[in-house]
Amino acid sequence: MTELEHPISEEDLHCMVDGRLAENRRVAVERHLRLHPEDARRVAAYTAQREALQAAFAVGVERPLPSSLNLAHLVEYRVRARRRTSWQIAASILLALSTGSAVGWILRANLFPPAASGIHELAQDATASYLVYAADRRHPAELGPAQSRDLAHWLSVRLNRPVAPPNLSIIGYDFLGGRLVATRRGAAALFLYQDALGERLSVFVRAMTSLRDMPMLKVPMDNINGCAWVQKGVGYSVIAEEPYDELLGLAQVVRRQVEAGEIVR
Amino acid sequence: MNLLWLVRNPGAHFAGRTPALHPTHPANMDRQVAVTTSVVMPSVLTEIEVVIPQLYRYAFALLRNRADADDLVNATLLRALDKLHTRQEEGNLRAWIFAIMHNLHVSRRHRAQYRSESFPIDDADNTDMVPAPKEAHARLEDVVRALDRLPEDQRIVVLLVSIEDLSYAETAYVTNAPIGTVMHQLAYGRERLRQLLGDETPPALRLVK
Repeated sequence: MTELEHPISEEDLHCMVDGRLAENRRVAVERHLRLHPEDARRVAAYTAQREALQAAFAVGVERPLPSSLNLAHLVEYRVRARRRTSWQIAASILLALSTGSAVGWILRANLFPPAASGIHELAQDATASYLVYAADRRHPAELGPAQSRDLAHWLSVRLNRPVAPPNLSIIGYDFLGGRLVATRRGAAALFLYQDALGERLSVFVRAMTSLRDMPMLKVPMDNINGCAWVQKGVGYSVIAEEPYDELLGLAQVVRRQVEAGEIVR
Repeated sequence: MNLLWLVRNPGAHFAGRTPALHPTHPANMDRQVAVTTSVVMPSVLTEIEVVIPQLYRYAFALLRNRADADDLVNATLLRALDKLHTRQEEGNLRAWIFAIMHNLHVSRRHRAQYRSESFPIDDADNTDMVPAPKEAHARLEDVVRALDRLPEDQRIVVLLVSIEDLSYAETAYVTNAPIGTVMHQLAYGRERLRQLLGDETPPALRLVK
């Protein structure tokens, strides 16, 4: 009766294995299995698999959990990190508002070493762009991935050299788009990426006044991490909410593409 | 929101009207937000705590290495704490955290692929991390070995459904796939395991209740 109206499906067999059938449907499936030995063999095998997997990995819950997974510790750790972050945000706002004042200078000395070379200024420009644009959920980029060619053309004209967005899909970051950014040293290009979790990464590109190459330098920020370097008169900065070691790996991908002439020629 | 305070005062609520906890008590004006959220928060933290062993079990089944599983769950919990305020209240918390872990795993996997190209990793010391079932459990070992031969998307679905007992809809949510795809992967994964393992079933199995 019911089997005629609703024939037993593959899904029913899996529901049978996983114990997800309502009573009357279960009775119907059992009847079906008595009449179809091949299906019965499959359901039996799948059920055995399920039980074997449960037994094999019960090991994960039998032992006491490592202390690194103690939730109270994690919450406390996060609260401390967050306090530091809000202080740092307040500090950078102060810094922006009062660069001339004594407070500004003290904070400036703490947050950024004195501008010995243009790379620190590049890092500051890149950080400011990341904080403003990567946090923007609605319009992080001016031109999206569909307009990559327009974007590359536009930025190439404004930066006065051929510029193209790096491809970071190999490291799990999809291209979100890019935009032109204003800095005191002229136009800069900002490319934004997003991973499966919605975490964002930025690649910042700007011409430098000095032609001297600079090795990779850590951009000092708290929750986010960044690095900057200069190659052939062009400055690059990669910023993301990643541990610094991880970030360096990501930056190497960008750097390699720069060296291959895929980003700036 | 003051998470730390909530942890130290897990039972805090308004009912007692204790001046020390009352939101408008002068001493507590700056804690107002924390007091307001405390009605919900401790229970959320308790709920998360219940999920941790499950996350660890699944992470271990997926990565087969305690240190990696530990690291993945740790990162998942930190991210969950950071994103807690963006979550819709009535949602399924367990599926939500599993989804965070799934995403984290997938994006790390991409990076690992990249990294393994540049820095070959010697994983010889991983062998003793594999659960070493006794001889009596040789069959479990076979199942685990067969599981390793599934494509990762099928393996993930089989594990979520079988060991975590997630519903098909929850599995679809966690893996961000249509439910039809999940059923497809489950069916393929289980059939492939059956081919690898043969039909023999342990006597414990019962078909009919």
